[in-house]
Amino acid sequence: MTFYEDNKELYDSIPAEKFQLVQNNEDIHDAAFRTKPIGFFKDVWLRFIRNKASVIGGIIILIIMVFAAIGPSMNSYTYTEQHTDLANMPPKVPWIAKLNLGIMDGHYTLTKRQYDNIKDTSKYPEGCILKLKNPRIINGVKIVDVVVDYYKYKGLDDSQCYWLGSDYLGRDIWTRLWKGTRISLFIALFSVLCNVIIGVIYGSICGYYGGAVDMVLQRIMEIINAFPRIVVLTLFIMVAGTGMFSLIMAMVIKGWIPIARMIRSQFYRFKGHEYVLASRTMGTNDQKLIFRHILPNSIGPVITQAMMAVPTTIFSESFLAYIGLGLQAPNSSIGVMLSTGQKVLMQYPTQVLYPAIIISLLMICFNLFGDGLRDAFDPTQRGVS
Amino acid sequence: MDNDTILSVQDLAVSFRTYSGKVQAVRGVSFDLKKGETLAIVGESGSGKSVTTKAIMGLLAKNATIESGKILFDDHDLVKYKEKDFCKLRGKDISLVFQDPLSALNPIMKIGKQITETLVLREGLSRREAKKKAIELMEMVGIPDPETRYNEYPFQFSGGMRQRIVIAIALASNARILICDEPTTALDVTIQAKILDQIKQIKRDRQLSVIFITHDLGVVANMADRICIMYAGRIVEVGTADEIFYHPAHPYTWALLSSVPDLETKERLMAIPGTPPNMVAPPEGDAFAERNKYALAIDFEQAPPYFRLSDTHYAATWLLHPKAPKVEMPDVLKARIARMRQKAGLDNE
Amino acid sequence: MSEEREKILEIKDVCMDFKQKRHKVVHAVNHVSLDIYKGENFGLVGESGCGKTTLGRTCIRLYDPTSGQIIFDGHDISGKLTKDTRKFLTSHMAMIFQDPIASLDPRMTVQEIIAEGLHNQGYKDKAQIDSMVKEMLNKVGLLPEHATRYPHEFSGGQRQRIGIARALVLKPEFIIADEPVSALDASIQAQVINLLMDMKEEFGLTIMFIAHNLAVVKYFSDRIGVMYYGTLVELADADDLYVHPLHPYTKALLSAIPEPDPLSERRKTKLYYDKSMHDYSKEKPSLQEVVPGHFVYCSDSEKEAYLKELDS
Repeated sequence: MTFYEDNKELYDSIPAEKFQLVQNNEDIHDAAFRTKPIGFFKDVWLRFIRNKASVIGGIIILIIMVFAAIGPSMNSYTYTEQHTDLANMPPKVPWIAKLNLGIMDGHYTLTKRQYDNIKDTSKYPEGCILKLKNPRIINGVKIVDVVVDYYKYKGLDDSQCYWLGSDYLGRDIWTRLWKGTRISLFIALFSVLCNVIIGVIYGSICGYYGGAVDMVLQRIMEIINAFPRIVVLTLFIMVAGTGMFSLIMAMVIKGWIPIARMIRSQFYRFKGHEYVLASRTMGTNDQKLIFRHILPNSIGPVITQAMMAVPTTIFSESFLAYIGLGLQAPNSSIGVMLSTGQKVLMQYPTQVLYPAIIISLLMICFNLFGDGLRDAFDPTQRGVS
Repeated sequence: MDNDTILSVQDLAVSFRTYSGKVQAVRGVSFDLKKGETLAIVGESGSGKSVTTKAIMGLLAKNATIESGKILFDDHDLVKYKEKDFCKLRGKDISLVFQDPLSALNPIMKIGKQITETLVLREGLSRREAKKKAIELMEMVGIPDPETRYNEYPFQFSGGMRQRIVIAIALASNARILICDEPTTALDVTIQAKILDQIKQIKRDRQLSVIFITHDLGVVANMADRICIMYAGRIVEVGTADEIFYHPAHPYTWALLSSVPDLETKERLMAIPGTPPNMVAPPEGDAFAERNKYALAIDFEQAPPYFRLSDTHYAATWLLHPKAPKVEMPDVLKARIARMRQKAGLDNE
Repeated sequence: MSEEREKILEIKDVCMDFKQKRHKVVHAVNHVSLDIYKGENFGLVGESGCGKTTLGRTCIRLYDPTSGQIIFDGHDISGKLTKDTRKFLTSHMAMIFQDPIASLDPRMTVQEIIAEGLHNQGYKDKAQIDSMVKEMLNKVGLLPEHATRYPHEFSGGQRQRIGIARALVLKPEFIIADEPVSALDASIQAQVINLLMDMKEEFGLTIMFIAHNLAVVKYFSDRIGVMYYGTLVELADADDLYVHPLHPYTKALLSAIPEPDPLSERRKTKLYYDKSMHDYSKEKPSLQEVVPGHFVYCSDSEKEAYLKELDS
């Protein structure tokens, strides 16, 4: 606190012309804003990019999508191409193999080999042996485990390799993985899109009109919700055969219900809001009220919920594939790969590892991304720092 | 710090980090709270009045920093307190009543339990003693039939009743300072009147010191012994209630007083033009200058010091400088003050 | 004396009930009758939940009245509305809302918010709409460049002025102002009140001013109606109501208002109102004209008592 008395001389030395009324007769007006206008979506964007975790989530999703798009054409294999002689090859990427990290160098451990045969180039081609492990003597015979470069062991040179290995039919896992990711993502995004469209329309009608209309529509929804999904899916498979259509229908038949419920409650909330009432007093019609005022303001949580639904849908698709109701060979999806890989989990764990990594990443990233979106769309955060 | 002073805030400055920059919410606030007095802090939203009290209670948000200053209570500097220390202090020595009684109560806990909780935890009373005391407290804040209501839940109470419960909880321990942050803003006038009476009564009975935050000048007139007027993070005028209401000296106080109608106002109200300044980049000099009809050239360059009007009355405005032109308060206000004095039976000076 | 003045709004025995769960019915507005004359400021005061907002919203047909009749400028607007009546209503009556944050759509620019009414009334010419919006912004003390901004960038007082601009852009005759200042800081309230006064002058408006703060209502209004739990308990000229309040609830309300005057605050005695002080077991109360222009909700014997009180 500074007091006049404390520093009288200094304050008294201020020239007298400074003590003049300067805006006595002016009309003092509202100041113009100095900042640029920030639209709603820009505001959402600004708040979204402040959430590091969800930005990283978004970037990873984007990377996965890019690979899903270009991955299958990055090498010469196609996803149906079989090389039964090259089944269950371990992963090998030449330039990583050169780094000697012990990963992706095509290594494979052959157990219980006679030590005496090691030098035999007809059994072990030149330079294929990487390491010998566990020398031991069983029944008087010297036995070792041999870590070999399986590609050289099979007599292939560096030019031919499977980056992520091959499956039991000798199909390239890299190609099938991205092809599968593409299909899984497509099924998930497409079914979520259908869910959102149906849910928003259905929920809007329920929420806006309320009363008897709402009553009837709600009961219908409850009946649909009571169908078990597996039964519905089996019925669709009977009618339309296995394939994407049946799968998407299985996802959509009940998937829109949570969205419709959410939109309905949002409508109940927003239709009593003062700005909607204000608009009504000015004679705005129902259609405009729904599409201009209520829907844009309630869409935020829907976008978030849709984002959260994507990984769940991918997971359900995998689950269905896993129990054999999903896509059929030679088609690939993450679920199909997991289910085939699981059969050889003990021998060739990498066949499960890569699809598992992708599905886990997708789950985590979509959740993080959805979280960030939810915060960004939260209307109470609007304009706050 | 003399003997009468129970709490002393000295040159407190608080800022918030936000993504549009550092908001300087409080910029050098000093005041003393004396034993048994009610100090009202008046200001519009964003003037820093709530932030000041939150700093006293150690309840600042995570993105806030206390830039400088001291808060002296019992020779301890609360600025240096850790959360652990505040836990001991809150409720025991200093109690707080919030604006919104609903959010201050736990909706799924019985009212009685919420009051006795503090008593059992803090005062070490047994359950039975605590219940007895809680019922006494409920009686004191004017809740009819406290024995039955003791076992009810917050939703069974009306807004005014809930605020009384909050006050009862605040008083459960023998706090010496009660901070009321707009305790009646959300309530109806008739209920407000009852609650204010209650607070005054309890204050008298217990020799409490009260810090009362509000933007309602009527409530201030009713409650306050002394008043601090805050604007843009600073105290612009401080004085006793009579000094502020009958001899205001700062143009902001003038504007504030003449902008609210009383029951006899007929004249056009004096609106304060414009909007409060952006506290990310508070203006140099007097923050009120831009909206002030009586702004001097110096107001835009240098912040005014406090000019002494009496032992208890200080105002930060260059208009009180000997070189400044003699400016009188607006006629509207002058007329109103004359009318109020007449009504009170005082002669015009 | 008031018989000669032209009535703009007649509310005749209007009830507004809300059905709640378990067949409970809330009588938010209970047999209210009042007239509002052209060019006056009519104040409606009462505490939260007394039905004043509901009455306002019923008048502009946000709610459909349960019973009773509302006549606006000679048109009956209480039954089912025809397209023409609705158009007449929306272009001649407007409403200003309480919450400056909630009453503006956060996704629309100020321009879109103000122009919405014009679009609804069939204005097509973009240049004309633009100039009307700019003119309105100017009138409420905002700058034309504010038109491209979103509501959240404005302060509370500015937002409320945008709300006023929106209500006035169609040049209505009758405005219902529902607590237009109670969410604002004291220093900003004056801005909005003055603006309403100016606009009234300029456009020749009739304003129904709803608020819980009797001091503000008293300052603003020519006549005041006091509501208590859905019932209109007193109706009189503003000064008359202040000098000679008759209904005990009005007296309690008046005494409870804190005034910015410490000396009178210290000696003020507060009155409290308790509904049980009336004995309506024998005589049914109704809204009676105790003296010309001063109505009180009372029984016959109470009326006698009130008359005596006025004489003394």
